[in-house]
Amino acid sequence: MIKLISAIKNLVVGLITTGKHLGRHAVTVQYPTERWEMPERSRGIVVLLSDKETGALNCTTCLLCERACPTAAIKIVYDKDEKGKRILKDFIVDHGLCCFCGLCEEACNFAAIKMATKYEFSTFDKNDLVWHTDKLQEVGRDVPYEKPERKKPEVKPAAPKAAPKPAATANPSPVMQPSPAENKPGITDKIDPQEGK
Amino acid sequence: MELSGVFKYLYELLANSGLPPVWVDLISLIAAALIVFAFLAVTALFLVWWERKVSAHIQQRFGPMRTGWHGWLQTIIDMLKLIQKEDITPATADRPVFFWAPIIALTAAFAAYVVIPFGKGLIVSDLNIGVVFIIAITTFTIISLLMAGWGSNNKYALLGGMRSAAQVVSYEVPMVVAVLSIVVFAGSMSMMDIVNSQAKIYQWYIFRLPFGPIAFIIYLIAGTAETNRTPFDLPEAEQELVAGFNVEYSGMKFAMFFFAEFVNLFTVSAIATTLFLGGWQGPFLPSWVWFMGKTLFMVFILMWFRWTYPRLRVDQLMEFSWKFLLPVSFANLVLAGFMKYSKWFNW
Repeated sequence: MIKLISAIKNLVVGLITTGKHLGRHAVTVQYPTERWEMPERSRGIVVLLSDKETGALNCTTCLLCERACPTAAIKIVYDKDEKGKRILKDFIVDHGLCCFCGLCEEACNFAAIKMATKYEFSTFDKNDLVWHTDKLQEVGRDVPYEKPERKKPEVKPAAPKAAPKPAATANPSPVMQPSPAENKPGITDKIDPQEGK
Repeated sequence: MELSGVFKYLYELLANSGLPPVWVDLISLIAAALIVFAFLAVTALFLVWWERKVSAHIQQRFGPMRTGWHGWLQTIIDMLKLIQKEDITPATADRPVFFWAPIIALTAAFAAYVVIPFGKGLIVSDLNIGVVFIIAITTFTIISLLMAGWGSNNKYALLGGMRSAAQVVSYEVPMVVAVLSIVVFAGSMSMMDIVNSQAKIYQWYIFRLPFGPIAFIIYLIAGTAETNRTPFDLPEAEQELVAGFNVEYSGMKFAMFFFAEFVNLFTVSAIATTLFLGGWQGPFLPSWVWFMGKTLFMVFILMWFRWTYPRLRVDQLMEFSWKFLLPVSFANLVLAGFMKYSKWFNW
C-alpha cells in the first residue's frame, strides 16, 4: 500500500516536472535566422588582427605561433631584408587542420593572432579552408581586442644589465623598486592582471 | 450555433426532393460517413502537428517552425510526401495479409465514430449497444497489428505484433470492466443516454465518488495501453524493435498506420469525454465546441503522459494489468452496482 502511494506520488511529480518545462521558453534557437551570442572568449576561427589606426597587421613574423601550433595548421612564409629582419610574405592557416586549442593566441606577444568568436566557415571544398593573409586579415578587422601593454617584458631583458646601478643608487621611490624585480617571468604577470577580470 | 440544425435542414431538403426513401437514407448515410471521414482526416493531421509541438515544448524545443505559422502546414506536407513515396512490398511478405493490414487498422479506427456523439444530435447512429460496438470495433486493431507483423515476414515486426496483441488483449479486460461500471450506473449502453445522464457538472461520472474517478483512471491507463502509447509502447519500442509492426511499411501504407494511431488516440479521448466528462454537455457554448474542447484536453493529457513516463518492461506490463488493474476494476464494478441499487450518492 505504501509502495502504491509512493508510486502514484512519483507519477504526479513526473507530470508536474514536465508540465513546468512545458511552460518555459525554449532553450534552442532558430538557427539561420537567430544566432547565439557567443561568449567573448569562445574559440572560433583563427584571424589575424590589424592595428586600429593604421590598418597594418600586428604580426611581427616572430614565428612563435607557428611553433606553438600542435597540428601544424599555421604556416608562415617570410623573406629577410638586408638587416636580417623577417618580412611577412604569406600567413597561411589551414582551418581543416586547426584544432581550436588557442595555443597560438597564447603564444603571441603582439596581439596579432586571435581565435575570433565567429564559427561559420564551412565550405564545399576542403581547399577553401586554407586561408591566406588577406582573408585572415579581412575577417579579423572587426574583431575587438585589447592590445596588451608589452613594454615591460620587452624592456626587461635589457633592464637587469642596465638598470641595477641607477635603481640601487638614484631611485626616488622605494615602493616602485621591488615590483619589477619580484615578478620576473613575463608569463605570470600576463596571467594575473588581464585574465583575472 | 448548433450544427445539428444544419444537418437536419439538409436531410429534410433531401427527403422532400422526391427521391425514394431508400435512396434518401443511403445518400444521407454516405454523406455522414464522408463528413466524419473528412473531419477525422483533418483531426489526425492536426494531432500529429500538435503532438510534435507538445513534445517539443516539454523538451524546451520549438518543434516544426518553418512551414506556415508555427509549422502548421508541416503535417500536410508530410502527408503529400508519404503519398508520393514508393509503396514497397518485401519479396518474402505474405502479400494479401501485408496488403490488408493497414486497411483494417484504418477501418477499425474510423468505424468507432459511428456511435460517438460529437454534439447535441450530432451522432451518425445512436445504437442501443453503442458501448459494446465501440469495444468490439476498436479490438480489430489487434488483428491488423498481428497481420502487419506476420505479413511483413520480419522478426522485429512479428515481435512487435505479438507484443501488441498480448498487451491489447490484457488491457481490454480492465478497460471493459471500468466502462461497465458506467453502463451499470447509466442503465444504458447507448452513448446518447450516457451523455444525457450527466446533464449537470456534478453528475459527470468522473465526479461521482468514489467509483467514478477510479473507473476514469483505470480507463485512462488502459486507453493509453490500447493506443500503444508510452509508457505502454512496447509494440513499437524503437530501441528494441526498430519500429515494431510497421518496420516494413512505407509510403501510404505506413501513413495509414500512422493515421490509425492518431485516430485511435482521438477515439480514446472522445470515449473518455463521453463516458466520464459529460460528453457535449456544457453551458453557454455550442455542444460540439464543448465536446471538442474536452476531447482535445484529454488528448493533451495523453500526450503529456507520453512525454513524461519511461517505457515498462513486458513482465511489468502484464503484472500491472492482471494483478492490479483487473482486481481493482472488478471491485469498482461491484461498488458501482452497490451504489446504484442502494441509492447512495444517487443524484
